[in-house]
Amino acid sequence: MIAETDGAILTVDNISRSYPGAPVPILDGLTFRQKRGEFVAIVGPSGCGKTTLLRCCAALMQPDAGSVLHAGQILSDPPPWLSIVFQDYNRSLFPWLSVKQNVGFGLAHVGKHERDERVAAALRAVRLDHAAELYPWQLSGGMQQRCALARSIVVRPKLLLLDEPFASVDAQTRFDLQDLVMEICRDMSLSTLLVTHDMEEAVFMADKVVVLSTKPARVVDEVAINIPYPRDQLATKETPEFLRLRHQVYTLVRQQIRH
Amino acid sequence: MTNSVQRIRALSLQIMLIAGLLAIWQWAAVTFPGPTLPPLLAVWRSYWRLVQGDLLHTAVLPSLYRLLIGFLIAAVGGALIGLAIGCSRSLDAWSRPVLEYLRYIPAIAILPPALLILGPTDTMRIFVIAFGCIFPVLLAAIDGAKRVEPTFLDTARVNGLGAIARIRRVVLFAAMPSLFAGLRIALGLGLIMMVISELIAADNGIGFFILRSQRLFQSAGVYAGVLVIGTIGWLLTAGLLLVERRVLHWHRGWRGLPVD
Amino acid sequence: MVAVTPPGSVRGSGAPAPLIASFEAAAGLGRHHPGGAVLRVLNHKVAGKYAGALGGFGVCIICWEIVRGLQLIDPRDLPSVVAIVRTAIRELIGGPLALAVLTSLLAWAPGLLLAAVIGTVMGIALAMLPNLDVASRPILEFLRPIPSVALIPIALLTLGVGIEMQLTMIAFASVWPIVFSVKAGVEGIDPRFQETGRIFGVTKGTGIIRIVIPSMLPSLATGVRTASAIALVLTITVEMLIGRPGIGRYLDEARLNGLVTEMWAAIFVTGIVGYIVNGVMLAAERHLLPWSAENRDQ
Repeated sequence: MIAETDGAILTVDNISRSYPGAPVPILDGLTFRQKRGEFVAIVGPSGCGKTTLLRCCAALMQPDAGSVLHAGQILSDPPPWLSIVFQDYNRSLFPWLSVKQNVGFGLAHVGKHERDERVAAALRAVRLDHAAELYPWQLSGGMQQRCALARSIVVRPKLLLLDEPFASVDAQTRFDLQDLVMEICRDMSLSTLLVTHDMEEAVFMADKVVVLSTKPARVVDEVAINIPYPRDQLATKETPEFLRLRHQVYTLVRQQIRH
Repeated sequence: MTNSVQRIRALSLQIMLIAGLLAIWQWAAVTFPGPTLPPLLAVWRSYWRLVQGDLLHTAVLPSLYRLLIGFLIAAVGGALIGLAIGCSRSLDAWSRPVLEYLRYIPAIAILPPALLILGPTDTMRIFVIAFGCIFPVLLAAIDGAKRVEPTFLDTARVNGLGAIARIRRVVLFAAMPSLFAGLRIALGLGLIMMVISELIAADNGIGFFILRSQRLFQSAGVYAGVLVIGTIGWLLTAGLLLVERRVLHWHRGWRGLPVD
Repeated sequence: MVAVTPPGSVRGSGAPAPLIASFEAAAGLGRHHPGGAVLRVLNHKVAGKYAGALGGFGVCIICWEIVRGLQLIDPRDLPSVVAIVRTAIRELIGGPLALAVLTSLLAWAPGLLLAAVIGTVMGIALAMLPNLDVASRPILEFLRPIPSVALIPIALLTLGVGIEMQLTMIAFASVWPIVFSVKAGVEGIDPRFQETGRIFGVTKGTGIIRIVIPSMLPSLATGVRTASAIALVLTITVEMLIGRPGIGRYLDEARLNGLVTEMWAAIFVTGIVGYIVNGVMLAAERHLLPWSAENRDQ
């Protein structure tokens, strides 16, 4: 067992996972580390088991072999300092609760007064304070995803997992959400793990991009992104450094698809 | 404009058909007097006595009271047990074959043993009604709980909810649409069991009133009793739909249907 | 999403997963999760089904015997499971119970057939004649929720206590699901079928036989399957109430004569009959209507 000597918030150590009846395992000896405060993006060809990996990282699922350490410990349930935003807001925001109630969902143990304050602050942070009393299904896709983001940060997590959070919204909204997430993660000095199939998004947002192979998923390479924050949708994406890194990640993923 | 014309046309068609059928009834009742077909006025008088007069307390209210108690027991019990079963794979695997067998026993068959063990009491009648109602609720709750979006449950787990809190705060709501579909079927079955339990062993209630009227060849009473049961069924269904609309207003919106 | 919920895995249903995980953590089983593997094998489709069935019925029998043993209910009213099964077999093999079941089914089948014929005609008529549909809606909406058992006294007044009364009641009760199912089926026919028919010169009358009826057969089958359960209830109720021969009278007479074991045996057998009836309906549907949705799912 690896002790927490290295300041890693998340250590994925040689994990494998297969589903009964399936001939090929979905994860096969996958290893990477995430330091505190680091923004890690995981990219890979579609259908390579990114969601399974994320569920293992969230302790929602246990690997068959290998271990996932959260701040140095093996856990059987998600710790209170871990939070997720799922891709499909329509299936993760509770349709029977208003936006405010959805955001306050994880604060049942907190007193009503404090809860109201924290919910209001989270809604302000995602600029959704005007929609507090509405139901999520009355909002646009981007607003719903902001609501899901507010629900995740209101519990003051240390580690935020993002499962393709921008895949179900249109392009302009996606850029706005990317900026918002980067801003919030830096303000709250969160460790963030983003799973995405959008390589440009990964390079743009992360400190480190982990490239996965096709099924069964292994780590092909890790690419460090040393572009200073704050990053800008136009200026950053035109720098030679960004273009070089994007080229590098694209090439790695494309080699996987060819295989 | 065409819409209201259509509505007036539909309404007049409906009124014509009802009036025509009533006229044939009245004509037949007057032309062939006998115990099989009473004149409309007699049926109406008897109906009015049941919903308004002295018979309300001896015939209608006892039935209604037993139906509501039995239905509530079945609704709460069926929902609780069903949600628990639906949330647990092993419980489901164990109970499914048993339920698959039990649901095919016609509920009426429970009447003789209930009568034997509990006697001709209100407890027996409420038990029989609850027994008849519980299966649709149970099966609907199991089904609803099994079909909860996995992401809802993941969200609940990430937010630190234990098994009980997950059922209470997530599964219960997510299964609510399915649960209400079961409750509507259960209400119809409850009405059937209410009548049967009173036809066989009772000294009050609407079923008993119908049976006594039939034995005394007071056919107006028989028809009026059936009409009262129809009224009860119609009112209770409407009430349940009203509750459903309130409780499930989010469901229509979520599914992209217009919300009023 | 598909990747998260493969058959037989822990499948998002959540509840059992933390139990297993925490048990393993407590037992210090660490990484390889042998408990999970064992459970996965147990949940394997076939093995799990039989194990579950055995376990479920086993628990029920044990509960029954405990209630008996503790005398929560007068044990004379609650015979042992072994006695019930033995009596059921004795009464079935050449016994009066077999005759009662057969008699009931001989009233049930023609009643259901009658309902199927009337229901089909009514359903098609309501779907194809909008005026009739509109005009009759309030009457049907009012008649439908009236439990048919409440009409038994009326049927007694008008039809007496003969087989025609029993058949009428069975047919009346079971006609509604068929009517509404057929109506929905006809209304749901793809208009392209009708257009195709017209192009090939099919007239309106032959169109009903060659296009409408084959297209709505799956809906009819679903309606008949629902109706068959209702018809069975009515068959037994009428027998119980007015003493026509069959399971209902067998049950009631067993109770009146204090033949408690025979009564429970009859209930046990009734459940099996209901189960078989439903199974036969499903099998017939699968065999006769290979294009129905029930089959396409599999």
